Amino acid sequence: MAEQLILLTVGLPWLGALLCWAAGDRHPRLQHTLAVSFSVAAGITALLLIPFGNERLLVTLPIGGAFGDFTFSPDGLGVFLAAIATVIGSLAVIFSVDYMRGEAQLGRYYAFVLFFIGAMVGLVLTTNLLLMFVFWEITALTSYALISFHNDDPKAVAGGIKALIITQFGGLGLLIGALVLFAHTGGYDILAVIANPGLLPAGALAWMAFGCLAAAAAKSAQFPFQTWLPDAMEAPTPISALIHAATMVNAGVYLLARFFPAFEGVAGWREAVMAVGMLSALLAAVMAIVATDLKRVLAYSTVSQLGYMVYAVGAGSVFAAQFHLLSHSVFKALLFLGAGAVIHSVGTRDMREMGGLGKKIPFVRLVFVIGALALTGLPVLNGFWSKELILEAGLEPGNPLWMLIVMLVVSGLTAFYTFRMVWLVFYGQPRAELHAHEAGTAMKVALAPLAIGTMTTWLLAGSFSRLLSESLPAQQIAAHSTGEILREVLTASVTWIALAAIGLGLAAWWQRDRLAGIGRAFSGLGKAASNSFGFEDVNRAVVMITQNSAEKLRETQTGMLSVNVAYLLAALIVVMTILALGVGLP
Amino acid sequence: MNANDAFLLTLGLPVVASPVIYLIGRIATRKYPKVDLARWLALLTLLVDGYFLFIVGTEFIQTRHELLIAVGAISLRLDGIALLLAVAVLALGTLVTLFSGPAIARDSGRETYFALLTAMIGTIIGLGAADDLFNLWVWFEAMALCSYVLVAFYRNEAAALEAGVKYLVQSALGTVLVLLAIGLVFANTGSLDLEEIRIAAQPSGLMLAAGALFIIGFGVKAALVPLHTWLPDAHSQAPSGISAMLSGVVIEAGLVAMLRALGALHLVTVSWGALLLGFAAVNMLVGNLMALRQTQVKRLLAYSSLSHMGYILLGVGAGAVLGSENSAAGGFFHILTHAMMKGLAFLAAGALLYSLHQALGNHDPLVVDDLNGASRKYPLTAFAFSVAVLGLGGLPPLAGFMSKWQIFVGGFQTGNAWMIALVVFAALNSVLSLGYYAPLVNRLYRRQPASIVEQGKPIPVLMSVPMVILSLGVVVLGLWPSLADWLTGPAAQSLLMLFGG
Repeated sequence: MAEQLILLTVGLPWLGALLCWAAGDRHPRLQHTLAVSFSVAAGITALLLIPFGNERLLVTLPIGGAFGDFTFSPDGLGVFLAAIATVIGSLAVIFSVDYMRGEAQLGRYYAFVLFFIGAMVGLVLTTNLLLMFVFWEITALTSYALISFHNDDPKAVAGGIKALIITQFGGLGLLIGALVLFAHTGGYDILAVIANPGLLPAGALAWMAFGCLAAAAAKSAQFPFQTWLPDAMEAPTPISALIHAATMVNAGVYLLARFFPAFEGVAGWREAVMAVGMLSALLAAVMAIVATDLKRVLAYSTVSQLGYMVYAVGAGSVFAAQFHLLSHSVFKALLFLGAGAVIHSVGTRDMREMGGLGKKIPFVRLVFVIGALALTGLPVLNGFWSKELILEAGLEPGNPLWMLIVMLVVSGLTAFYTFRMVWLVFYGQPRAELHAHEAGTAMKVALAPLAIGTMTTWLLAGSFSRLLSESLPAQQIAAHSTGEILREVLTASVTWIALAAIGLGLAAWWQRDRLAGIGRAFSGLGKAASNSFGFEDVNRAVVMITQNSAEKLRETQTGMLSVNVAYLLAALIVVMTILALGVGLP
Repeated sequence: MNANDAFLLTLGLPVVASPVIYLIGRIATRKYPKVDLARWLALLTLLVDGYFLFIVGTEFIQTRHELLIAVGAISLRLDGIALLLAVAVLALGTLVTLFSGPAIARDSGRETYFALLTAMIGTIIGLGAADDLFNLWVWFEAMALCSYVLVAFYRNEAAALEAGVKYLVQSALGTVLVLLAIGLVFANTGSLDLEEIRIAAQPSGLMLAAGALFIIGFGVKAALVPLHTWLPDAHSQAPSGISAMLSGVVIEAGLVAMLRALGALHLVTVSWGALLLGFAAVNMLVGNLMALRQTQVKRLLAYSSLSHMGYILLGVGAGAVLGSENSAAGGFFHILTHAMMKGLAFLAAGALLYSLHQALGNHDPLVVDDLNGASRKYPLTAFAFSVAVLGLGGLPPLAGFMSKWQIFVGGFQTGNAWMIALVVFAALNSVLSLGYYAPLVNRLYRRQPASIVEQGKPIPVLMSVPMVILSLGVVVLGLWPSLADWLTGPAAQSLLMLFGG
C-alpha cells in the first residue's frame, strides 16, 4: 500500500504536468482544471501516506551499477515534508487559477509547477543519495524555469539564471557527498551511513558533511549564497509562495536534518551550521528593515527564518527545526499569497506607493495580519511555539551563548520589519491613487485554509514529535505530548526574554518618529544593507571576470591558418617534452 | 546468417553502395528531378546495414567473443569499442540522412552528399574495427576525405570553402604526423599488427616520440585543444546534418583511433592516460569559455563540443591510466549521449536555420537573436532544442546527467587526489556551461517572437521525425541509464584490456 501511495504522490503530479502541457494553451480552463485536480489528488495521497510514517518500510526499484537501487522510505521526516509540498502545492495551484487568469503559456507554467511538486516529494522520500541529488537538480531546473517564466522580462531571466547558477554551484557539495559515499561504500544508501557514521573514514565523512552544508546553504539561500532568493521574486507570486518559501528552500534544512546523526560528530560541523544559520538570520533581518519591495521583504524574511531552522539543527534539535519548518511553511505561504493578492489588486510591488489598503481589501488584510503575527512570534499562533523551541535548543550545553543572544536580537528585528511591512501596506494614509479590488474566490479558497493552519498547526506538536521519534531511531528524538511541549515553552525563561525582545521591536516601530535620531546614526548600516552588504558586488565581479576572460580567450582563435598550424607544432613539442621528462601520475 | 559474414557486410555495404548511390542519383536527377533517389537509396543502405549490425551485435553480446575476420591481408576485429562506435554512427547517420533530405533539397550536388555520407559511415565502422596500423590509417584517411567534401558542401559560399580548406590543411598535417609515427613504430617493432606491437613495443625515446605523434596527429581530428582551431568554422559552415555527424561521431572516431594506437604502445609508458587527462582539463575550460561569448548558434554548439570532448577524455583517460571501469564506461556512455544530444541540438538549429534563412534564400548564419520567441511558431523544434541543450548542461532527468555522473563516480572510486580534483573541476565546468545553455532556452520561450520568426517558413515533417526520436532517446536514457549498459560495459572492458595488458 505504501509503495503505491509513494508512486502516486510522485507520479500524479508528473502525469498532470504532461497532461497540462499536452492540453495546449488554447484550452486554459482545461489546463486550470487538470492542474488543480492532479495537485489536490497528490495532496490526498501524501496525507494518506502519513500513517505509514511510523513503520520502517523500504520501497525498492533495482537499477544497479553506478546508479545504485532507487529506494524510498516513508518515514516521519519524509512524509511530513511530502504532505507540506503537496498540500501547499495544491493551494498555490488553486490560487494560480485567479492569479494567472488570462496569462499566456499556461501549459509551461502548470507543467513546471506540477513537475516541481513531484520532484520535491521524491526528494524527501528517497533514501538513495544519487536519486536525492537527481530530484534536487530537478527542483533547481523547475525553479529556474518558473522564476524566468516571463522570458520577455530581462530581470526575470537574469533572476532565473542567477538562481540556477548559484544553487547548482552549491549543489556540487551534495554531488561530492554522494560520490564520496559511493566510493567508500559501493552504494548510495543514506540510512546506512546515518545509522553508522563509522562506515566512512573520518576525512571522507568531513568532506561529505561540509559538502552537504554548502549544498544546503545554497538551496536554502543561506549565508553566503543568499543573494539569489530576493531576485527570484520576479517569479509569479504563487511560485514565490510554493517554491521559494514553503518547499524548495526547505530542502536544505531537510538535508541537514536528515544527515544530522551522521555528521554531528564531525569536528566543527555543528558550530559551522549554527554560524551559517545565525549569520543568515541576522543579515537578512537587517536587509528586510530597509527593503521597499513587498516581496523582497518577505524573501529576506524567509532567509532569516530558514536561518533559525538551520541554527536549530546545528544546536542539536532536529525536532525544533522541523516544527518551525511546518509553522513557517504555512504562515510564509499565507504571507506570500496574501502579498500576491495585494500585488494583483493594486498592480505594484513597491510599498512606498501603498498605504491604507486595509480599508479596501479587508479580507486580505485579515489573513495577512494573522501571518504577520505568526512571523513575529506572538503567542497562540504557530510561529510563537516553534520559534521558542528553537531558542530553547540554543540554551543546550555546548552551544555558544552569544549566538543565542544574537538570535534573540533578531527576534526583535523580525518584529520591527514585520510591523513596518504591515503598516506600510495596510494602514496609514494612502500614498498613491491606487485602485484596489478584493481577492477573487480561488484566492480566498487558497488563503483561508492557510490562515486557519497558522492558528492551529501548533496543536500537532505532540503527534509530530511522536512520528519523528518512532520513525527516525538514529536521530534520538524524544517523544512528548502536546501539553508537555506547550508547558515547556511557557515556563522557559528564554521565552519571556524573547517576548521582551519582540515587544521592544514593536515599540521601536510604533515610536519610530521619536527614534529617528537612532535611525540616522545607523544610516550607514542601512545603506550597506540596501547594497546587500557587498554580496551582489561579489556576484557581479565573478560574472565580469568570467566574461572578460572568455572575451580575451577569443583572440586565440585568429582564423589564420598559419597560426593554427603553429599551435599544432607547439603542442607536439610540449607533449614530447613532457614525455621526455617522464611525467607519470603523482 | 553467420556473424562473421554479417560483420563483413556491415563494413562493406556502405562503402560499396556509395558509388552506386552517386551514379543512380546523378542519372535520376536528370530524368526524374522531383524524386530524390540518392537520399532514399542511402537510407535503404543504412537500414539494411543496421540489420547486419544487429546480427553482429547480438552474437558479440551473447558470446562475449571478439569477432575476427580477415580479407586478404586486411584483418578486422570487432570488440566492445568497435561495436559502440558502429551503433552510434549508424543510428545517428540514419537520422541525419532522413533529416538531410529536405534540408538540402534545393541544393545541387545532393547525390555527392548522400554518397559521401554513406561512405563516411562505412569508414567509421571500419576505423573502429581496424586491427593493424595501416588499416587504421586507411580507414581514418578515407573518413577524413569524405568529411572534407561534406564540410565544403556549400561550395558557392566563401565561408564554407574557407572552413573546408582550413580543415583539410590541418587534418592533412595531422595525418602526416600519424604516418611518421607509424613509420617509427614499424622501424622499432618490425610489425604493423596492433597485437604484435603490444608485445614488442619497448620503452625508448623513439617510441615516446611515436606516441606523441599519434596523440597530436589523431588529436587534430579528435579536437584536442589547441589542435581544435578548425572545428568552429567547419561545424558552423557545414550543412547541419554534417555538423551533427562531425560533433557526434567523427571527432569521437578520431579519439578511438588514438586509443587504438596508444593501446598498442601501452608498455612504453603509463603517461598516455595522464596526457589525456591533461588535455581533458584544458578542453573543458577552453570549450566552455569560448562558447560563452558566441552569438552564432552553430559556433556556440561547436565550441561546446570541445568541452564535451573533455568529459569523454576524462572518462577514457581515467580508465586508461587508473584502470577505472566506471570512468571508462562513463566516457563511452558520454560518447553515446553526446552524439544524441549534440546531434539533436544541431538538427534543431539546422531546422531553424532552414526555415528562417535557407528557405527564404539567404545564407546568413543562425544567431541567438533569431531564437527569440521561436517556440510560438516551432514548438516541437524549440522543445527538442531545449531538451538537447539542458541535457548537455547536465540537468536531470536527461541523459547527459547520467553519463557525466558515471564518469564522476569512476573518478572518485580511484581514490586518487588529482583525479578527484579533476572531477570537481569537471563538475564546475558543467555549472559554467549552464551560463550559455540556459539563456538559449529562455530566448526560445519568449512571448514576443522575433520578426524573422514571424516570416519563417514551416519545417518539413521529415526534419521533425529525427528530432522527436532523439528527444525521446535523451529523456529515456536519462530516466533508465542502465539501458545502455550492454554497449558501454563491453567497451569499457575492451579499453581496460587495451591499456592494462
